[in-house]
Amino acid sequence: MQTWQKLLLVAVLSTILFVSSALVYFHHFVKRRLIISTTTSLYDTGLLDIIEKNYEASHNVDVNIISVGTGMAIQHAQNGDADVILVHSPSMEQTFLEQGYGENRKIFAYNFFTIVGPTADPAGISGRPVKEALHCIVNYGRNLTDQSGQTKIWVSRSDNSGTHLKEQALWQAAGYNYTSVSTEPWFACVGSGMGDTLNVANQKSAYTLSDLGSYLTFRRGNAASLSALITEEQELLNVYSVMAVRSSVSGNQSVHEQVNYEDAMSFIKYLVSPETQQMITDYGKETCGQSLFFGAVQPLTTNSPHPVVDWIKSYAFFDGSECPPQYRNGYPELYP
Amino acid sequence: MTLIAELKDVTKVLGATKVLDNVNLQINKGEILALLGPNGSGKTTLLKILAFLETPTFGEVKFQGGTVHAKNAELFRMRSTMVFQKATFFDASVYKNIAYGLKLRRLAENEIRGRVKEALMLVKLEGFERRSARKLSGGEQQRVAIARAIVLNTPLLLLDEPTANLDPKNVAIVEEVIAAINRGRGITIVLATHNMFQAEKLPQRVALINNGQIKEVGETSDVFGKLSRNLASFAAIDNTFKGIASDTGSGTTVVDVGNNVKVEVTTQQRGEISFFVSPQDIILSKSAIASSARNVFKGKIVAISDSGSLVKLTVDVGQPFVVQITKRSFVEMGLNLNAEVYLAFKASSVQVL
Amino acid sequence: MVDILGGIVQAFQLIFAGDVTLYGIVCRTLLFSGVAVLLAALWGTPIAMVLALKHFRGKAIVKTFFNSLIGIPTVVLGLILYLVFSKSGPLGFLGLLYTPAAIILGEAILVTPILISITITAIEAVDPEVLLLAKTLGASDSQASMAVLKEALNGFLLGNIASFNRAIAELGVALLVGGNIVGLTDVLTTAISRYTQRGELDFAIALGILLLVIVFAINLLIIAARKVKIIFELWRSPQ
Repeated sequence: MQTWQKLLLVAVLSTILFVSSALVYFHHFVKRRLIISTTTSLYDTGLLDIIEKNYEASHNVDVNIISVGTGMAIQHAQNGDADVILVHSPSMEQTFLEQGYGENRKIFAYNFFTIVGPTADPAGISGRPVKEALHCIVNYGRNLTDQSGQTKIWVSRSDNSGTHLKEQALWQAAGYNYTSVSTEPWFACVGSGMGDTLNVANQKSAYTLSDLGSYLTFRRGNAASLSALITEEQELLNVYSVMAVRSSVSGNQSVHEQVNYEDAMSFIKYLVSPETQQMITDYGKETCGQSLFFGAVQPLTTNSPHPVVDWIKSYAFFDGSECPPQYRNGYPELYP
Repeated sequence: MTLIAELKDVTKVLGATKVLDNVNLQINKGEILALLGPNGSGKTTLLKILAFLETPTFGEVKFQGGTVHAKNAELFRMRSTMVFQKATFFDASVYKNIAYGLKLRRLAENEIRGRVKEALMLVKLEGFERRSARKLSGGEQQRVAIARAIVLNTPLLLLDEPTANLDPKNVAIVEEVIAAINRGRGITIVLATHNMFQAEKLPQRVALINNGQIKEVGETSDVFGKLSRNLASFAAIDNTFKGIASDTGSGTTVVDVGNNVKVEVTTQQRGEISFFVSPQDIILSKSAIASSARNVFKGKIVAISDSGSLVKLTVDVGQPFVVQITKRSFVEMGLNLNAEVYLAFKASSVQVL
Repeated sequence: MVDILGGIVQAFQLIFAGDVTLYGIVCRTLLFSGVAVLLAALWGTPIAMVLALKHFRGKAIVKTFFNSLIGIPTVVLGLILYLVFSKSGPLGFLGLLYTPAAIILGEAILVTPILISITITAIEAVDPEVLLLAKTLGASDSQASMAVLKEALNGFLLGNIASFNRAIAELGVALLVGGNIVGLTDVLTTAISRYTQRGELDFAIALGILLLVIVFAINLLIIAARKVKIIFELWRSPQ
């Protein structure tokens, strides 16, 4: 046998050894893993770090959080690469449930999107309803002297995230075709996470749509000249839900049988427990001076405060329920 | 006499050319055999086959009674080693270069040290152990390469042009080493050369090789005596000429080798003869100098080949003569291609074959 | 964005305070890249030896293939590997997605072409007679190949260092198959991306400084690589 053949044999053997020892290690010596695919807006605020820490302290499981957009989180779930997903796009969630990839949806938090922009507010949107505000921004953008594309008035995430979907819906509601408005010279598409998008908006002195949590966290870390100009409107409501990835998906059995369903459900129960809900509502009060998120479980059971609960129901309920019975699987305590 | 190696009907084809053509050769144990032939005649390939670095396309190679083929060549390589024409080294010290083969033979470190020292002594390079092999002069490199081969004590030693491009001092040392290890250790040596003097001096037997074929094999004296005509047909060997010898009328002999070149020689033979002039015996100058040399020619340098400390010049005086001078004189004389030079050599320097 | 200076000051405070999270990320990065290069060297060296020393049909095409793979964008490879390691992908049954093993394998694949190319160049630069020389001095075919490889040691080291450099500085593969999980699969580049996203710029800057220091040190190593062999020689010198 020649040297290179021997070396190649050694290489193949060591690769096999490496992979198999990794397999043995991860399957037998490490705690069970719970992979949570989450939308960036929850992750970047640091809220999940605390939830993870608390959960791991009381449960014998290793929580691994992957931060992606809502679109990718759902893709992960379909591919069987995540056990739990945390997302904020009711329309996508409904499709996801209908396709049979997930179940036991719970709405666990809400907050409001906010339109942020330069404190000087050159388009004069402050205090206006969202539709009007978007009109102002478009008019301001179209009447700019500089139409070369250097000056940007609006920054869009354009990454198919929940925030991006929300933005598209808002343009639609205001009577604009998103596809055509997004090609106008004053309209910037970033294709990245909320932090990056806020950075760009800050640099360009432009307006953008942000979830409140990301904006407040961003403002804390950066000497930002961006202000939240419009907030707390029905159109700007942002609802976060959690779903377990189904471990038996027809026609896709082998992909999903490794899904850690039990720990997923245990995590969901933990997330909607009163203690965690309180923790969510309190998060950020110290560092940002206000709540970044509000626990949604108690408002939905007690039907207060008004009108937020009605907004949530009309925005994020399917067939009058956060999780219609056909998408439930056991755990009746979750749906009193 | 026992045979150490034998080639039977060996043919080697490389690409489209037949480098060796049906070669039959027997090598006796303990002898020095010279392969004499011009460049490109197949000498190096023949040595590589004897070193088991190449396998013949057709034919059989036997070594110490066993038949060699591609599968077992690795084992046979332990018993035969070759010194290449161009000294090649590992990028390491002289010691490491010489010790390499011994380490492969799993000798103890202190024995290796002793044998390396002994080998270096033999090639007169005592204390060179820690020098970097690639930084030595051409002559020293060739001697280290020979030390590296003889330290292995293989039954068969193959030398490819061991003294080409060396200055006379190094040539003397190398030839002395070759003679010494052949006599002292009984090592069989096959050396390829295109230098007739060397072929006449060291070996017991000579094989004439041309165009990949063995033309003659025999005792040195036989080949250089009786078979002179065959030898002379090797026009490609440097400074070998053929012509008609005639009387000058003043007691000397002159040979007309054509193209208006007439060479005075000291022979009484007449008719067609062949002769050889050693490149070392030719004096080169930039102007005609008064000397006792009977043969003086004016010509142009048509080729220069630089090989270490020596420079080989081909001078066209009507016939091409090869002259060797040291690099230093080459530089001092400011020679270049197409420069006009004079050649001079004594009638007694001409070797009639 | 006016607080860059403040960020840098805080970053240095973190570096000199020996922040556990910070140095955890550094250690992970070095470990993953190191093992990845080790694996790549194991695969790449025999392939490079074949491509440098053997003659066969299509050799030029194979070499061009590896040369062009050197510049593959890491995100593209990351995406391909995600699809391969995903539970619904061909190697999904291994369950390696979002584990350090996936990053190591991914980075090993990423740097294999660069390692192969540099090693080929190094071996081809060795005088072909060295192979014959080793053989005639009694080396078996494998020992002779090793002798050639030893002659190419400088280039081989260079290839390994350059590979390490690429592995440590890449983002796409680690992000897409590692998932940037805190304390498990986050490496310098992905952690920088995370902390920048979150606006924790002091941490991002500290990580960036450490990454630059490491890359700079590696490049110093490349310069020193020429001398490494000399040191080897002196160390193992017989007398």
